[in-house]
Amino acid sequence: MNVGVEAGHRRLHYMTVSDAAHAIATKALSPVELMEAHLARIETLDPTLNAFIRLDGEAALAAAKLAETEAAAGRLRGPLHGIPVGIKDIIDVAGLPTTCHSKILDGNMATADAVCVSKLRAAGAIVVGKLSTHEFAIGGPSFDLPWPPARNPWNPDHHPGGSSSGSGAGVAAGLFPMALGTDTGGSVRNPASCCGIVGLKPTYGLVSRRGVFPLSFTLDHIGPMTRNVEDNALMLEAIAGHDPLDPGSAAVPTGHYRAALDRGAKGLRIGFVRHFHEIDMPAEPEVTAALEHVMRALQMLGADVRDIKLPSLVEFAAVNRVILQSEALAIHGEWLRTRPGDYGKLARRRLMPGAFLTAGDYVTANKRRAEMIAAVNAALAEVDVLLCASSMDPACRIDRPADVERTYPRQARTPFNVTGHPALAMMSGLSKGGLPLSVQFVGRNFDEAMLFRVARAWEQASGMDKKHPPIG
Amino acid sequence: MDKELMQALARRAGLDKALAEFPDDVAAAAAQAASVMAKINTPSDPRAEPWPPMRAGDGL
Repeated sequence: MNVGVEAGHRRLHYMTVSDAAHAIATKALSPVELMEAHLARIETLDPTLNAFIRLDGEAALAAAKLAETEAAAGRLRGPLHGIPVGIKDIIDVAGLPTTCHSKILDGNMATADAVCVSKLRAAGAIVVGKLSTHEFAIGGPSFDLPWPPARNPWNPDHHPGGSSSGSGAGVAAGLFPMALGTDTGGSVRNPASCCGIVGLKPTYGLVSRRGVFPLSFTLDHIGPMTRNVEDNALMLEAIAGHDPLDPGSAAVPTGHYRAALDRGAKGLRIGFVRHFHEIDMPAEPEVTAALEHVMRALQMLGADVRDIKLPSLVEFAAVNRVILQSEALAIHGEWLRTRPGDYGKLARRRLMPGAFLTAGDYVTANKRRAEMIAAVNAALAEVDVLLCASSMDPACRIDRPADVERTYPRQARTPFNVTGHPALAMMSGLSKGGLPLSVQFVGRNFDEAMLFRVARAWEQASGMDKKHPPIG
Repeated sequence: MDKELMQALARRAGLDKALAEFPDDVAAAAAQAASVMAKINTPSDPRAEPWPPMRAGDGL
């Protein structure tokens, strides 16, 4: 890294988190300079991308000045000292509204930080603002809400994925180097796939959900979104940890997610779940070709790749839907009864099915869920990591509801919300149309370090972290 | 799901206002719920309990 060159040119916004943190720690870069570069980038690009619901630029700059003073005095708050971060707007940030991108919660002021935000601040990160999402992390992309939907920086006519849309678009476009997203049916990994970045859904219970507006209590996860694997691990180290006040939080050891990063793929056993994208939900040919390329690259690096069979993608998706919609109705029921017109059409349609499911349906789905967890655990007893598709298509146009409706369910992310296993999505290549294609790696519970190891091996072999959207 | 049953279930859930103002959305939600259960296999053991999802404490 040459900080002088980076700082003197327009690509400061594409510095990695780890490089920027190192440069700040060694006084080669000022947090103010870094923040100003990002705010300038936001001013230029966000009118096109709509990544922000609320930019908090003044406060971010003031925090950067304080961080600069602290760094100059040799007082670093933590490994993310002075690094800008964007927060999905279903996550509380003290003093800013949490709108969930909905009229229902317009003006809903947060009085305290969510635990994940508090941990990021403790590590030194600076919140730049609240980011677009699908309404309540389920209804989108929508044009009938108080704020427009985010757009894909690789082509603003296309969907950036969701529901953590602003997080994905903003990280990819260099509006901030890292963001928090949430993932109930794939909402970190979908925008990561569409926008060509790295998105992790950690193991259920690893990151506290306290202070995050729920969609489905037993499926909700909070995850880091970054432009490379190392930064993702760094961010996870900051936000993971047991929270006794979150009933889903796990009391397990955390940290050291970068420990195995550079050990490569040699000798690892990788299970390729081909039937997801070949039989259950046939992918676009270029998605399939890119997955084969990833598989061969890992073989070339010395991994032992074998085929693995899991329950069908269609059934995984159905179990996810029944549980999600039953639990979501328990959260939204009163508003749906009294204020149905204050939801956008998509959220209204996606939140009401719970009214037509029975308690028996919910329990049956959970019984199958237990069997699905056992099936994935059994597969991961044979191999170290699973490799499978994330999205079956490149991002569709955002202004064609039929295309959004068709492609939205064509994905292999929901299985791991159902089972709770950690899953990471990242770029596998580019389509002929210049849009990111994606791959997903899935690991054993709480073995995120192994996921990062495999993902990093692919990243280093392919150089995917060096590819940026042709914008700005 | 026929229309009468759909409307009865919606009213039972207190969705009268949605039914009056957004009948197509209520019908779409009902149709979605009806189709999704058909895709789930019968659990192999009727006595099996639906746990661990999602157990706190020591993890999964």
